[in-house]
Amino acid sequence: MQEPLGTLALSALNRSSVSTQDKSSTVAQASGTAAQPPRPSNTPPPSKPKGWNSRAGVSRMRRIIAEDPEWSLAIVPPLTELCIQHIVKNFQNNPILKELLPEHKQKVLDLLSPDLPLAVTANLIHDESYWRRCCTQRWPVCHVAKHGGSWKHMFFERHLENLLKHFIPNTTDPAVILDLLPLCRNYVRRLSVDQFLPPVKLRPPPRSGDPSDSGSEAELEEPATDHYQLGDLVAGLSHLEELDLVYGVKDCGMNFEWNLFLFTYSDCHSLAATIKACHTLKIFRLTRSKVDDDKARILIRSLLDHPALEELDLSHNLIGDRGARASAKLLNHSHLRVLNLANNRVRAPGAQSLAYALAHNTNLISLNLRLNCIEDEGGQALAHALQTNRCLTTLHLGGNELSEPTATLLSQVLAINTTLTSINLSCNHIGLDGGKQLLEGMSDNRTLLEFDLRLSDVAQESEYLIGQAVSANREAARWQTSNPSHFMLAVSAKDSENSAG
Amino acid sequence: MNPPGSLGILEDKEKERLSTPILGPSILSDNPYERIQARRLRIAARLEARRREALGEYLDGKKESEEDQSKSFKQKEESRLKLAKLLLCGTELVTNIQVAADIREIHRRVEEEEIKRQRLEKLENEVKTSQDKFDQITVRWEEGKQKRIPQDLWDMLNTQKAHCAGLIEDKNKLISELQQELKTKDDQYVKDLKKQSDDICVLLERMEEQVKNVMKSFRQELNYIEKAFEMERQDLLTSNKKTWEQALQAHKTKELEYLLNRIKKVEDYEKQLNKQREWDCEEYNKIKIKLEQDVQILEQQLQQMKATYQLNQEKLEYNVQVLKKRDEESTVIKSQQKRKINRLHDILNNLRSKYAKQIRQFQEENQSLTSDYKHLVTQFKELQKAIRHFAFIDDKRFREIWLMNEEEAKDLINRAFDVDRIIHTQHLGLPWTAPDFWFLRNVGPISQQPQRSATQILEEVLLQTEEEGTEEAASEAESYLDLPKQISMKTTRKILMLLCDESGFLIESKLLSLLRPLERSECYLLKLDAIFSALGIESEDDLYKLVNFFLKYRVYHSPSSQEQTSLTLALDSGEQADLKRQKEGSLVEGEPEEKAPPSPTLIHPNEVLKILEAFVMGLKKPRDSPTPVRLVKYLRDNSKDSAYWEALATVIPPATLNLWDALYTALEKYHVVLTQRAKLLMENKALEQQNTELQMLLQQYLDSKINSELHVPPTQVLRVPTK
Repeated sequence: MQEPLGTLALSALNRSSVSTQDKSSTVAQASGTAAQPPRPSNTPPPSKPKGWNSRAGVSRMRRIIAEDPEWSLAIVPPLTELCIQHIVKNFQNNPILKELLPEHKQKVLDLLSPDLPLAVTANLIHDESYWRRCCTQRWPVCHVAKHGGSWKHMFFERHLENLLKHFIPNTTDPAVILDLLPLCRNYVRRLSVDQFLPPVKLRPPPRSGDPSDSGSEAELEEPATDHYQLGDLVAGLSHLEELDLVYGVKDCGMNFEWNLFLFTYSDCHSLAATIKACHTLKIFRLTRSKVDDDKARILIRSLLDHPALEELDLSHNLIGDRGARASAKLLNHSHLRVLNLANNRVRAPGAQSLAYALAHNTNLISLNLRLNCIEDEGGQALAHALQTNRCLTTLHLGGNELSEPTATLLSQVLAINTTLTSINLSCNHIGLDGGKQLLEGMSDNRTLLEFDLRLSDVAQESEYLIGQAVSANREAARWQTSNPSHFMLAVSAKDSENSAG
Repeated sequence: MNPPGSLGILEDKEKERLSTPILGPSILSDNPYERIQARRLRIAARLEARRREALGEYLDGKKESEEDQSKSFKQKEESRLKLAKLLLCGTELVTNIQVAADIREIHRRVEEEEIKRQRLEKLENEVKTSQDKFDQITVRWEEGKQKRIPQDLWDMLNTQKAHCAGLIEDKNKLISELQQELKTKDDQYVKDLKKQSDDICVLLERMEEQVKNVMKSFRQELNYIEKAFEMERQDLLTSNKKTWEQALQAHKTKELEYLLNRIKKVEDYEKQLNKQREWDCEEYNKIKIKLEQDVQILEQQLQQMKATYQLNQEKLEYNVQVLKKRDEESTVIKSQQKRKINRLHDILNNLRSKYAKQIRQFQEENQSLTSDYKHLVTQFKELQKAIRHFAFIDDKRFREIWLMNEEEAKDLINRAFDVDRIIHTQHLGLPWTAPDFWFLRNVGPISQQPQRSATQILEEVLLQTEEEGTEEAASEAESYLDLPKQISMKTTRKILMLLCDESGFLIESKLLSLLRPLERSECYLLKLDAIFSALGIESEDDLYKLVNFFLKYRVYHSPSSQEQTSLTLALDSGEQADLKRQKEGSLVEGEPEEKAPPSPTLIHPNEVLKILEAFVMGLKKPRDSPTPVRLVKYLRDNSKDSAYWEALATVIPPATLNLWDALYTALEKYHVVLTQRAKLLMENKALEQQNTELQMLLQQYLDSKINSELHVPPTQVLRVPTK
């Protein structure tokens, strides 16, 4: 041992420290370390030949090579390691995973490349970390929580969405999507597609020249602009629960044409048949797709008596009173809990029919009629319905040209109703008197937790006082949920607060 | 606890934070709504501040009221309230943009609608005017066709052209206007787009700001809370330390006290020990002296004792001598006694053997005697049998003799009566009435009414009931046979039928099979016979008892209670005896009392068995002791016999006898007269005969032929009466 130390002293000081370490390790291994953790064994091999060469360059003595202090048994990878590497290398042709021991399995999964074909991995690998790697490699931003907390679900859902987004009817082979179906059918719960490409136009160049005529010409070509039919795909996905669709094109830039955003009747019919056949569907969203009354009626007719549907979102469409009436009918023919008709063209008759349905409904929890024009007639009808309804908790009537009469009725409702927790009356013309009446109604209410009266011409003071009452209610609710025994205390505190305000 | 100064700072900060984003949009935009909104926010912030002050007061008040709650809790509450407010304000701030956009959109829509309406109106007007113009032009064309002069035509065409141009001009104008509008709309669209992108930018900014602020404030609050916790902990630690130290101090003082006490106690104990030791020493000495004295006394006593001992020794030696002598004597006596015992044992053995022998002898004797006794018993039995036989035979013979004598007597009596009657009727011409005596009707020995067996009665009953339909009256008359009691024939019969039907189990199955071919009544008879034999009913009385029992049972009407049935049984037996006694009387009287017997049909067939059981139970009791009675029963009383015979002998009263004597003398006389008369009659007769014979001779002579031959016949002379 003396001699190698001497030669080492020649080579370098820092090296000597390494060598002593190595030596100690070799001594340790001489005593017998078969169970040396294999991980460090991976790193030495590349360094070994380097050291060898440098050593040879520094001093050409064979003895020293034989007494290489860096040499250790740990450098030779164990057979299991080699096997695992081989398995990883040939995983595509011969996937061996289930037969392995758990520790080896984990190792293989860590080493597998995320680029392996899905046909191999889809039904074989259930390890989350592998799919996490796949996801992070493919997309920079990943919200796992949106996909039920499962990376695998997220991967397949986003993969399928991606395919659908870029599917061009008549040019793309439908087999591309249908081939994926057996692989992803168990992992897709949610499908959110915000773009459906129309079929490729026959004469794209001339149309781009005159954008002013495009609208009229698109109408002529309408029959040819059917989008991808979801029927086959959705029928194959046995666990689909959420469907979020937008019939439109994103990032069209200067190629804008009106017919890019067409939701045709055949699309509508096929979609209706699709959602009718999908009994697991819970949430259905079809937004920003120019759904007018007739199409809405077609869709809603197919949704009547649907066994699972809980949420229906048709916001940002062109639905009028007839569509509203159809959805009112749907309210009492399904288990719908959330209905969103924001930014449509519902007027007073539609709101009246919705109110009629709402009066005796026991399922609906949330109703959103933002940016419609139901006016006082509709608002009063809804207020009347709320006097008997015992289920609705959230009501959004923002931007509906409501005014004082509705406010008076609503104040009565506030005094009676004990289920409503959130009301939004922003962007209406409630007026000063209406605000006062609402304040009176609020004084008797103990359940409302949110009350939005912004930009509704209500006096500052009454808005402030309403806000205080609401916050007091919120406090009380919080006290009640955290410790019911202190409820009385909270109530007294709130009273004192009110007197102070 | 965070100091109030820091709170103030925080409020200031928050004010700044709230004001900065508001100022941005309000200054930048010339949109009135946004300005309004900004003002509103400012006011809201002011109100918020005021409210917070109030809340602070309220919190202070709360603090006083809830002293028990810890500082950290309060800090937490405070922070939570603050953060909630912050979040609320932040979200309001962020959503304000959306709300503003909404209201803008609404206003735009309203305006758009208005403009659209105007535009439509305008277009309609335009269409109307242009239509009018067009109509004018078309009318003109018609006019133009009529024009033949080229100049006119040209003029007209020109004017038409001008008109058309005007029309087109109008249309073009409209189009240009619309295009202008479109352009402005485009511009506005672009503006709107820009505005919206600005809005989005602001939104993003605010969101970022909000996130930052919220993060910052959260961190700050977290710090405060942590500080509060730290302080609380410190306080807690210090207070705990204090208490700990106090406790330690107290402990120390107590320890000291204990030590002092201990020392004192030790001293005390030492003193006590010394005292004790002294006292012990004194006492020891005292005891020692006393004990020495005792020792001396004891030694003296010992000497005395020794002396007495010696004395005693000598006495005892003497006693020993005496005892030895006595012992010798006793041994001699013992041997004598032993010998005596042996002798006595021998005697005892002899006696025992004798005793055994005697026992054997007596047993043999006993056996022989018992065999003798048995023999005698059998002999006695045979004798009894013979006696019974002889008694029976005697009886029979007696009866026969009786009957014979009676017959004889009766013949004699009858003859006497006949004679009497003849005397009366023929000689005396008096009406004769036959004397009617009970003993005349008697046949056989008195008081030995033949004991009929049950079967006989049965037979009678059944036969009678069969005949009943034809001769009811006869049965009524004869009923004295079967109805000594209040039971009618019908009921008896019905009860028997019922019994026969219900208690078929008592009959052997073989008998049943044999009975099948027989007639009904015979069948019943045999069945009842079998049943009675099974029940142990032999005599007539038993049968009546049974029937009566049935009826009584029904009357008492409590079939289930055993006590009552036994009671009725007792009653029955009593009554039965009475009835038995009454029987003869009633026989003589021949008038059975007619009570209304309860119909036996009321007896339910199911009760029959119970009744039967009760009856059998009751019947067995009196049956236990009838055998000796029966022997006595056969000893008939002779008291009436002599009277009977006397009566028979004196059937003709002495008056009649006297009559007869008188009659006899009279008749004797009469007889003499009659005999004389008879003699006379005989003579008369003989004379008559001579007469007739003579007449006959005469006749003969008259009739002879000589008469004829004679001229004068005698006949004519004689005048003989012709025949």
